[in-house]
Amino acid sequence: MAEKEYVRLTRAKPRARFAVISSGSSSLWLGKDHLLCIDTTGYTENYKRFYFRDIQAFLIRKTDRYKWWGIVTAVMAAGCLFAAALSGEIVIKYILGIMGVVFALVFLINLALGPSCVCQLRTAVQIEELPSLSSLRKWRKTLERVRPLIVAAQGVLTPEEISTRVRQGSAIETIPASGSRNPTTSPVEDPNTPPRII
Amino acid sequence: MSLSLLLCPKCNGALTETVFNRTELTPCPVCATPLQVEVFPALFRSVSAGRDGEAALIETESTCFYHPQKKAHLPCEGCGRFLCALCDCELHGKHYCPACLEIGKTKRKIKSLETERTLYDSLALSLAVVPLVIFYLTFVTAPAALYIAVRYWNAPRSIVHRSKIRLVLAIIFASLQIVGWGIAIYFIVAKRHG
Repeated sequence: MAEKEYVRLTRAKPRARFAVISSGSSSLWLGKDHLLCIDTTGYTENYKRFYFRDIQAFLIRKTDRYKWWGIVTAVMAAGCLFAAALSGEIVIKYILGIMGVVFALVFLINLALGPSCVCQLRTAVQIEELPSLSSLRKWRKTLERVRPLIVAAQGVLTPEEISTRVRQGSAIETIPASGSRNPTTSPVEDPNTPPRII
Repeated sequence: MSLSLLLCPKCNGALTETVFNRTELTPCPVCATPLQVEVFPALFRSVSAGRDGEAALIETESTCFYHPQKKAHLPCEGCGRFLCALCDCELHGKHYCPACLEIGKTKRKIKSLETERTLYDSLALSLAVVPLVIFYLTFVTAPAALYIAVRYWNAPRSIVHRSKIRLVLAIIFASLQIVGWGIAIYFIVAKRHG
């Protein structure tokens, strides 16, 4: 059997924060020399490739989503189960009981997924959010798989080296904005202008 | 003073090297949000300036197809046109002219340049299954699903591994619906004619 070109790193997660029914979702795949981020609407797929040699940094920010989901689902589960226990109507008892169990399940799943986070990937020309890396556990697991590949492509960076390089000021301070070329030179007159494809 | 390299995703405050490559979450020096920042050598790599084509000095010297005043650097591996250093686009160790790159992208000849695909298999399956909720719609959608499944049988599916199972299911469901409609129409016509 032919070897698979891409290996799945994360399952598809909705890109919009409060998406429930239908919205674009994003997943992350591991290629031979790059990470592939697939944004899908169900009928179309958009691809973004991040080559290992170009990845500058991953920025992870811990969020409160885990905590709030935990509180809300625990309160709802407890409320529904308590109301079910007090209710005299058998139908209402069952409906509230099922709702309580569903909320308790969501609470347990949230607990199992662990603390939530937002992950950004930075290259020299872009900062891309990776919605599929939404929990710290998943992020650490992914980093364990990706780091050796990035190190193989770029080399190792020791803490001393980071300090030295930062102090040397050799880094690019900001991402260059698009369209920041010298406006005084007309593209028609400039002999260094790349050919235009019509 | 150390140079700011990265900004906090929450407060946009400058991050210092004290938060880089820590194994645990470290608070942002500005807003104290727990962060983990993993940096790689590419962060410190300076961006090299674009190359200019070298001007041709002798009249008989080979020149760039797009810039006749520039010296030819190498031929395009797609079309063979001579290119100057400015027009040379390197992709995975191969050298192309901008036109060949554009053709490679639009005609999907260079896979690594592909940025979008339509999932005809998902579309066909949805057309075959979803309208079953309102059965009358299948009179139109079943032939449409069958057409899409057959027409795009060999079209590229998702870039990640995907089988033809959706297309097969779409053909089966759509065919069953068409057969169902055929039987229904036959009985209606037969009933009218006594």
